Amino acid sequence: MVAGAWVCLLAPLAGALAIALAGTRISRRTAGWVSTLTTFVAFGGALVSFLALWAESPEDRERLSTAYTWLAAGDLEVGFEILVDPLSSVMMLVVSGVGGLIVWYSMGYMAGDDEERRYFAYMSLFVFSMLVLVEAGNFLLLLVGWGLVGLASYLLIGFWHHRPEAVAAAKKAFVMNAIGDATFALAAVLLIWETGTLEYPGVFEQVDGLSSTTVNLVALGLLGGAVAKSAQIPLHTWLPDAMEGPTPVSALIHAATMVTAGVYLLVRTHPVFEAAPDVQHLAALLGALTLLVAGLVALVQWDIKRVIAYSTMSQIGYMFLGAGIGAYGFAIFHLMTHAFFKALLFLAAGVVIHHLADEQDIRRMGGLRRELPRTHLAFLVGTVALVGLPPFAGFWSKDAILASALAEGGALGWVLYVAGLAGVLLTGAYAFRLYFAVFRGERSARAAHAAHEEHGSGEGPLSILVPVGILAALSAVGGLLSIPGVWHPFTHWVGESAEALVEPTTAQDYVTSLVAVALGLVGAGFAHRAFAGGRYLVTSPAAWQVLEHKLYFDDLYDALFYRPAVALSNALRREVEEPLVERSLEEIGSGTIQVGGEVGRLQSGLLRTYAIAIAFAVAVLVVVFVAVR
Amino acid sequence: MSGPGIGWYLIVAATLFGIGAMGVMLRRSPLIVLLSLEIMLNAGSLALIAFSRQLGNLDGQVFALAVMAVAAAEVAIGLGLIVAMARREMPLDVDEATVLRG
Repeated sequence: MVAGAWVCLLAPLAGALAIALAGTRISRRTAGWVSTLTTFVAFGGALVSFLALWAESPEDRERLSTAYTWLAAGDLEVGFEILVDPLSSVMMLVVSGVGGLIVWYSMGYMAGDDEERRYFAYMSLFVFSMLVLVEAGNFLLLLVGWGLVGLASYLLIGFWHHRPEAVAAAKKAFVMNAIGDATFALAAVLLIWETGTLEYPGVFEQVDGLSSTTVNLVALGLLGGAVAKSAQIPLHTWLPDAMEGPTPVSALIHAATMVTAGVYLLVRTHPVFEAAPDVQHLAALLGALTLLVAGLVALVQWDIKRVIAYSTMSQIGYMFLGAGIGAYGFAIFHLMTHAFFKALLFLAAGVVIHHLADEQDIRRMGGLRRELPRTHLAFLVGTVALVGLPPFAGFWSKDAILASALAEGGALGWVLYVAGLAGVLLTGAYAFRLYFAVFRGERSARAAHAAHEEHGSGEGPLSILVPVGILAALSAVGGLLSIPGVWHPFTHWVGESAEALVEPTTAQDYVTSLVAVALGLVGAGFAHRAFAGGRYLVTSPAAWQVLEHKLYFDDLYDALFYRPAVALSNALRREVEEPLVERSLEEIGSGTIQVGGEVGRLQSGLLRTYAIAIAFAVAVLVVVFVAVR
Repeated sequence: MSGPGIGWYLIVAATLFGIGAMGVMLRRSPLIVLLSLEIMLNAGSLALIAFSRQLGNLDGQVFALAVMAVAAAEVAIGLGLIVAMARREMPLDVDEATVLRG
């Protein structure tokens, strides 16, 4: 079982190295196949280790495998080790499975791009990094994976480096993530300080004995990392901009896997958060806030990918909400179903964008139902799964989280519950607004134009259609792994790693589902009415203004951090750099030249003068030595 | 110990050294400057040998041998330079050779 996990971890690394080292000796297509196949090999390894784990007895389902001692400093020893347990096995399957499908899709999507080989090398690097993150057997390796996925994300957002917006977006994502990495690293340092270990079991055993300040600080540090990586308020502004990257990248990194790493972190380190319940509840509240804000902003976006990006933030908000109240199994369940349907939405959006020759504005789309029938069907499945209509995937997972909020009860539970239900209404509205705008209505001039071009010929090669089809199937049935009142194999499986704190009753489940489905349909109804009436979804101009500026978060950070930093730098240049540093350098230079000129006059070239000077100097020295003695 | 005391030897050495130094400082012909230098070196050797004998220690004589070797090398280079100057028909006057003025 451990061997499978190692294969799973190392196959994508081998793929990335092979593509990078082979350079132009392999064709672009070969590079794509190397990347795809190594990712599927990783999936095979994950499957083997999952099945082997399944066959073990429940109390024996946690295996730590150490390759070697990586760091040893005093009493602190950190190994290069991977942890195979129910939680990480699920994450391995999701990352390598969805990853494999998306890399395969990329072969069709990126065909003809200038630097395909670099693209596939980065993709493999990303899959490897993400697997390091989920398989890590201690905090330090987790942090390594954390940093590596940030790097891969940076490289892939900025993949089209000739576009200034892409470079700026990559930088923004990197800086935002660096803030989270820093708080995570500080938490790790604090753990070393207080517990003397970075092993999961060692930390989790000692966490109850620590002072509440320490535990809260550690949990806050971890939460900071999770919030940055998962694009939750207040570190969320990078995710919409990250849509500058290629669409499969958005699907893999910014929807299915990397951005959900924060949820994985919350679940993986749940004993720390349970020891700091205030911070855990803060995570839930941040998730609730994010799901509302992102849902609202998604109502007014015009870029097809940005709408889906805001939807991703919103859905991760649900996961944070779930993890924050201790519904770990359901949070991971939603993570998985979300990986299916959000990857599906992105890939289907990619087909649309390709079809329309890189058009992303939904105002210039419409009526694509007839031209792209299969994509239309896939997108509809994804939309319905996102809104959470039965029996599609999102229905089971999202409602389970909401039911857990209801089961949590109290003021907190009710706030979260109401926010989550309001989010469902918003989800229905923005998701169906997108669907109607793209696929229904009259065929736009742009689409008609595209139909005449080469792009308009069909929906793409098999490498595009098959992954979309598989993801559509998974989005349709993936939720059946947990049916309230019937069976919960998925949540029981994850529960072995992280036991849930709340367990909704079947009645709570059904009531929630009823309300949520009704709200989702109402939202869809709003979208339909606005669409049929040719109106915007948000009618108040003031509200539109606020939402179009994404609630002024970017402007706020601009005023709060960027402008003061620029002003400070300018002041330092004016007041310190120029008068002190530059002028003093100039004066050192000119002074040296002046002294040199004066001293140079002594060098007369007259040999006898030199001889006299030497004689005189020796005489003086003799006198001095004698006098000193 | 027979012969004059060490004081006489040192007086001779100092006189020779002074004559040499004056020559180096006052004369303008490079050949004479070189000769004066030799005189100074020999003055040093004489003092070394005198002390060696006074102290009954051979170190000073060994040093005198080394000074001779240095002097021979110096003469070889100095005479070579002077010959080279003569060949180029440069004036044989150290005050005229001031190319290295700063």
